[in-house]
Amino acid sequence: MKTLMNDTIILDSLKVVNNVLLNTTETNQTINWWFWVSILQFIFIVYLLLSKKNELKVNRKQKFKSESLKQNIDFDNIINSSFHSISLYDELKVKCHPDRFTTDKGKNAIAESLFQEITKNKTNVKKLLELKEEAKNKLNINF
Amino acid sequence: MFSNTWNAIVDWFRDRSERNKLIRSFNESARDSFVAGIAPTLLKAKISKGESSYRHQFSNWLNTGFRIQAFTGRELSKDELVYIGKVILNDSVLVRRLIVLGWDTLEIHGDKGQYGCRWQLKDYIPLPNFNENTNE
Repeated sequence: MKTLMNDTIILDSLKVVNNVLLNTTETNQTINWWFWVSILQFIFIVYLLLSKKNELKVNRKQKFKSESLKQNIDFDNIINSSFHSISLYDELKVKCHPDRFTTDKGKNAIAESLFQEITKNKTNVKKLLELKEEAKNKLNINF
Repeated sequence: MFSNTWNAIVDWFRDRSERNKLIRSFNESARDSFVAGIAPTLLKAKISKGESSYRHQFSNWLNTGFRIQAFTGRELSKDELVYIGKVILNDSVLVRRLIVLGWDTLEIHGDKGQYGCRWQLKDYIPLPNFNENTNE
Protein backbone atom coordinates (compact mmCIF):
# COMPACT_ATOMS: atom_id res chain seq x y z
CA MET A 1 0.00 0.00 0.00
CA LYS A 2 2.81 2.34 1.02
CA THR A 3 4.78 1.57 -2.14
CA LEU A 4 1.79 2.32 -4.32
CA MET A 5 1.28 5.66 -2.61
CA ASN A 6 4.95 6.53 -3.09
CA ASP A 7 4.71 5.65 -6.75
CA THR A 8 1.71 7.91 -7.19
CA ILE A 9 3.58 10.77 -5.49
CA ILE A 10 6.61 10.22 -7.71
CA LEU A 11 4.47 10.11 -10.81
CA ASP A 12 2.67 13.28 -9.81
CA SER A 13 5.96 15.00 -9.10
CA LEU A 14 7.34 13.98 -12.47
CA LYS A 15 4.22 15.27 -14.14
CA VAL A 16 4.54 18.64 -12.41
CA VAL A 17 8.25 18.88 -13.26
CA ASN A 18 7.49 18.05 -16.84
CA ASN A 19 4.83 20.75 -16.96
CA VAL A 20 7.17 23.30 -15.44
CA LEU A 21 9.91 22.42 -17.89
CA LEU A 22 7.53 22.66 -20.81
CA ASN A 23 6.24 26.06 -19.70
CA THR A 24 9.77 27.40 -19.16
CA THR A 25 10.82 26.37 -22.64
CA GLU A 26 7.74 27.99 -24.08
CA THR A 27 8.51 31.34 -22.40
CA ASN A 28 12.06 31.30 -23.77
CA GLN A 29 10.89 30.65 -27.27
CA THR A 30 8.32 33.46 -27.49
CA ILE A 31 9.44 36.89 -28.82
CA ASN A 32 9.67 39.61 -26.21
CA TRP A 33 7.65 42.21 -28.03
CA TRP A 34 8.04 44.94 -25.40
CA PHE A 35 11.81 44.78 -25.69
CA TRP A 36 11.68 45.46 -29.44
CA VAL A 37 9.05 48.16 -29.03
CA SER A 38 11.29 50.00 -26.56
CA ILE A 39 14.29 49.64 -28.90
CA LEU A 40 12.25 51.13 -31.77
CA GLN A 41 11.06 53.96 -29.55
CA PHE A 42 14.66 54.73 -28.57
CA ILE A 43 15.77 54.80 -32.22
CA PHE A 44 12.87 57.10 -33.12
CA ILE A 45 13.70 59.53 -30.29
CA VAL A 46 17.38 59.63 -31.33
CA TYR A 47 16.34 60.30 -34.95
CA LEU A 48 14.04 63.13 -33.87
CA LEU A 49 16.76 64.74 -31.75
CA LEU A 50 19.32 64.52 -34.55
CA SER A 51 16.92 65.92 -37.14
CA LYS A 52 16.05 68.78 -34.78
CA LYS A 53 19.73 69.56 -34.32
CA ASN A 54 20.33 69.33 -38.08
CA GLU A 55 17.31 71.56 -38.73
CA LEU A 56 18.94 74.39 -36.78
CA LYS A 57 22.10 74.03 -38.85
CA VAL A 58 20.14 73.93 -42.11
CA ASN A 59 18.14 77.03 -41.09
CA ARG A 60 21.34 78.98 -40.34
CA LYS A 61 22.84 77.96 -43.68
CA GLN A 62 19.65 78.95 -45.50
CA LYS A 63 19.62 82.34 -43.78
CA PHE A 64 23.26 82.97 -44.75
CA LYS A 65 22.54 81.87 -48.30
CA SER A 66 19.43 83.99 -48.79
CA GLU A 67 21.24 87.06 -47.41
CA SER A 68 24.08 86.48 -49.87
CA LEU A 69 21.75 86.01 -52.83
CA LYS A 70 19.95 89.30 -52.12
CA GLN A 71 23.04 91.44 -52.82
CA ASN A 72 23.66 92.77 -56.32
CA ILE A 73 26.92 92.20 -58.16
CA ASP A 74 28.30 94.85 -60.49
CA PHE A 75 29.94 92.70 -63.17
CA ASP A 76 30.69 95.68 -65.42
CA ASN A 77 32.75 97.22 -62.65
CA ILE A 78 34.58 93.93 -62.04
CA ILE A 79 35.50 93.57 -65.72
CA ASN A 80 36.49 97.23 -65.95
CA SER A 81 38.56 96.97 -62.75
CA SER A 82 40.45 93.95 -64.08
CA PHE A 83 42.11 96.14 -66.73
CA HIS A 84 41.93 99.78 -65.63
CA SER A 85 42.28 99.91 -61.87
CA ILE A 86 46.10 99.64 -61.86
CA SER A 87 46.68 102.83 -63.88
CA LEU A 88 44.02 104.76 -61.97
CA TYR A 89 45.41 103.61 -58.63
CA ASP A 90 48.96 104.56 -59.65
CA GLU A 91 47.78 108.04 -60.65
CA LEU A 92 45.76 108.60 -57.48
CA LYS A 93 48.37 107.30 -55.07
CA VAL A 94 50.89 109.79 -56.43
CA LYS A 95 48.58 112.82 -56.63
CA CYS A 96 46.79 112.26 -53.31
CA HIS A 97 49.80 111.32 -51.22
CA PRO A 98 49.69 113.13 -47.83
CA ASP A 99 53.38 114.16 -48.18
CA ARG A 100 52.30 116.61 -50.91
CA PHE A 101 50.26 118.59 -48.37
CA THR A 102 52.68 119.01 -45.50
CA THR A 103 52.18 122.78 -45.20
CA ASP A 104 48.37 122.68 -44.91
CA LYS A 105 47.27 120.56 -41.91
CA GLY A 106 43.61 120.41 -42.95
CA LYS A 107 44.40 119.18 -46.43
CA ASN A 108 46.97 116.81 -45.03
CA ALA A 109 44.34 115.12 -42.87
CA ILE A 110 41.95 114.86 -45.83
CA ALA A 111 44.73 113.45 -48.02
CA GLU A 112 45.58 110.95 -45.28
CA SER A 113 42.04 109.56 -45.13
CA LEU A 114 41.70 109.65 -48.95
CA PHE A 115 44.97 107.80 -49.36
CA GLN A 116 43.79 105.08 -46.96
CA GLU A 117 40.54 104.70 -48.92
CA ILE A 118 42.46 104.59 -52.21
CA THR A 119 44.72 101.81 -50.91
CA LYS A 120 41.72 99.90 -49.57
CA ASN A 121 39.87 100.07 -52.91
CA LYS A 122 42.81 99.73 -55.25
CA THR A 123 41.05 97.05 -57.35
CA ASN A 124 37.72 98.83 -57.61
CA VAL A 125 37.53 101.33 -60.48
CA LYS A 126 34.09 102.66 -59.52
CA LYS A 127 35.22 103.52 -56.00
CA LEU A 128 38.52 104.95 -57.26
CA LEU A 129 36.65 107.28 -59.63
CA GLU A 130 34.49 108.49 -56.74
CA LEU A 131 37.65 109.12 -54.70
CA LYS A 132 39.16 110.98 -57.66
CA GLU A 133 36.17 113.33 -57.71
CA GLU A 134 36.47 113.78 -53.96
CA ALA A 135 40.15 114.61 -54.33
CA LYS A 136 39.36 117.16 -57.06
CA ASN A 137 36.81 118.91 -54.84
CA LYS A 138 38.51 118.74 -51.48
CA LEU A 139 42.18 118.96 -52.39
CA ASN A 140 41.88 121.03 -55.59
CA ILE A 141 43.98 118.59 -57.56
CA ASN A 142 44.00 118.89 -61.34
CA PHE A 143 44.07 115.48 -62.96
CA MET B 1 10.90 65.08 -42.85
CA PHE B 2 9.17 65.04 -46.26
CA SER B 3 9.06 68.83 -46.40
CA ASN B 4 12.82 68.92 -45.73
CA THR B 5 13.48 66.54 -48.61
CA TRP B 6 11.19 68.53 -50.87
CA ASN B 7 12.92 71.79 -49.87
CA ALA B 8 16.33 70.21 -50.59
CA ILE B 9 15.19 69.23 -54.09
CA VAL B 10 13.75 72.69 -54.79
CA ASP B 11 16.95 74.32 -53.45
CA TRP B 12 19.09 72.14 -55.70
CA PHE B 13 17.22 73.30 -58.80
CA ARG B 14 17.24 76.92 -57.63
CA ASP B 15 21.01 76.78 -57.03
CA ARG B 16 21.60 75.39 -60.50
CA SER B 17 19.56 78.18 -61.99
CA GLU B 18 21.42 80.82 -59.93
CA ARG B 19 24.79 79.36 -60.94
CA ASN B 20 23.89 79.51 -64.62
CA LYS B 21 22.51 83.02 -64.20
CA LEU B 22 25.76 84.20 -62.60
CA ILE B 23 27.92 82.68 -65.34
CA ARG B 24 25.66 84.18 -68.01
CA SER B 25 25.70 87.67 -66.42
CA PHE B 26 29.49 87.59 -66.12
CA ASN B 27 29.95 86.52 -69.73
CA GLU B 28 27.47 89.11 -71.01
CA SER B 29 29.25 91.91 -69.12
CA ALA B 30 32.64 90.71 -70.35
CA ARG B 31 31.41 90.51 -73.93
CA ASP B 32 29.78 93.96 -73.83
CA SER B 33 32.92 95.52 -72.31
CA PHE B 34 35.08 93.90 -74.97
CA VAL B 35 32.79 95.02 -77.80
CA ALA B 36 32.60 98.58 -76.41
CA GLY B 37 36.40 98.67 -76.15
CA ILE B 38 36.40 99.09 -72.37
CA ALA B 39 38.19 95.80 -71.82
CA PRO B 40 41.16 94.97 -74.07
CA THR B 41 40.76 91.25 -73.41
CA LEU B 42 37.72 89.03 -73.62
CA LEU B 43 37.05 87.18 -70.40
CA LYS B 44 34.90 84.08 -70.27
CA ALA B 45 33.64 82.34 -67.16
CA LYS B 46 32.80 78.65 -67.02
CA ILE B 47 32.39 75.85 -64.54
CA SER B 48 35.36 73.57 -64.00
CA LYS B 49 36.15 70.51 -61.92
CA GLY B 50 37.72 72.46 -59.06
CA GLU B 51 40.11 71.33 -56.35
CA SER B 52 38.71 68.77 -53.93
CA SER B 53 40.95 69.88 -51.04
CA TYR B 54 39.36 73.36 -51.10
CA ARG B 55 35.94 72.08 -50.00
CA HIS B 56 33.76 74.01 -47.55
CA GLN B 57 30.28 73.72 -46.04
CA PHE B 58 28.49 74.92 -49.20
CA SER B 59 30.60 73.01 -51.73
CA ASN B 60 28.82 71.03 -54.42
CA TRP B 61 29.57 67.36 -55.00
CA LEU B 62 30.98 67.93 -58.46
CA ASN B 63 32.26 70.82 -60.59
CA THR B 64 33.23 73.23 -57.84
CA GLY B 65 35.60 75.40 -59.85
CA PHE B 66 34.81 78.88 -61.21
CA ARG B 67 37.19 79.30 -64.13
CA ILE B 68 37.84 82.56 -65.94
CA GLN B 69 39.61 82.30 -69.24
CA ALA B 70 41.24 85.39 -70.74
CA PHE B 71 41.36 85.39 -74.53
CA THR B 72 44.45 87.45 -75.17
CA GLY B 73 46.04 85.42 -77.93
CA ARG B 74 49.25 85.32 -75.95
CA GLU B 75 50.53 83.68 -72.79
CA LEU B 76 49.56 85.76 -69.76
CA SER B 77 52.20 86.58 -67.18
CA LYS B 78 51.77 85.54 -63.58
CA ASP B 79 51.22 89.16 -62.50
CA GLU B 80 48.40 89.61 -65.01
CA LEU B 81 46.69 86.40 -63.86
CA VAL B 82 47.11 87.31 -60.21
CA TYR B 83 45.73 90.80 -60.77
CA ILE B 84 42.53 89.53 -62.42
CA GLY B 85 42.21 87.06 -59.54
CA LYS B 86 42.70 89.81 -56.98
CA VAL B 87 39.97 91.95 -58.53
CA ILE B 88 37.53 89.03 -58.22
CA LEU B 89 38.64 88.11 -54.71
CA ASN B 90 38.49 91.70 -53.43
CA ASP B 91 34.81 91.87 -54.36
CA SER B 92 33.39 90.36 -51.18
CA VAL B 93 29.82 90.25 -52.55
CA LEU B 94 30.90 88.16 -55.53
CA VAL B 95 33.05 85.82 -53.42
CA ARG B 96 30.18 85.33 -50.98
CA ARG B 97 27.82 84.55 -53.85
CA LEU B 98 30.29 82.08 -55.37
CA ILE B 99 30.64 80.31 -52.04
CA VAL B 100 26.93 79.94 -51.32
CA LEU B 101 26.32 78.66 -54.83
CA GLY B 102 28.71 75.77 -54.23
CA TRP B 103 31.97 76.93 -55.80
CA ASP B 104 35.15 76.55 -53.78
CA THR B 105 37.93 77.23 -56.31
CA LEU B 106 38.68 80.27 -58.46
CA GLU B 107 40.82 79.57 -61.51
CA ILE B 108 42.28 82.09 -63.93
CA HIS B 109 43.72 80.87 -67.22
CA GLY B 110 44.92 82.35 -70.46
CA ASP B 111 43.94 80.86 -73.82
CA LYS B 112 47.53 79.95 -74.60
CA GLY B 113 49.99 78.02 -72.50
CA GLN B 114 49.43 75.54 -69.72
CA TYR B 115 49.87 78.04 -66.94
CA GLY B 116 47.06 79.19 -64.64
CA CYS B 117 46.42 80.33 -61.09
CA ARG B 118 43.90 79.08 -58.58
CA TRP B 119 42.69 80.25 -55.18
CA GLN B 120 40.75 78.75 -52.33
CA LEU B 121 37.60 80.89 -52.00
CA LYS B 122 36.96 80.23 -48.31
CA ASP B 123 40.23 82.03 -47.47
CA TYR B 124 38.73 85.31 -48.63
CA ILE B 125 35.50 85.44 -46.64
CA PRO B 126 34.86 84.49 -43.02
CA LEU B 127 32.35 81.64 -43.05
CA PRO B 128 30.30 81.30 -39.84
CA ASN B 129 30.29 78.00 -37.99
CA PHE B 130 26.77 76.65 -38.53
CA ASN B 131 27.23 73.86 -35.97
CA GLU B 132 27.62 76.25 -33.06
CA ASN B 133 24.78 76.40 -30.55
CA THR B 134 24.49 80.16 -30.47
CA ASN B 135 21.34 82.19 -30.99
CA GLU B 136 22.35 84.51 -33.79
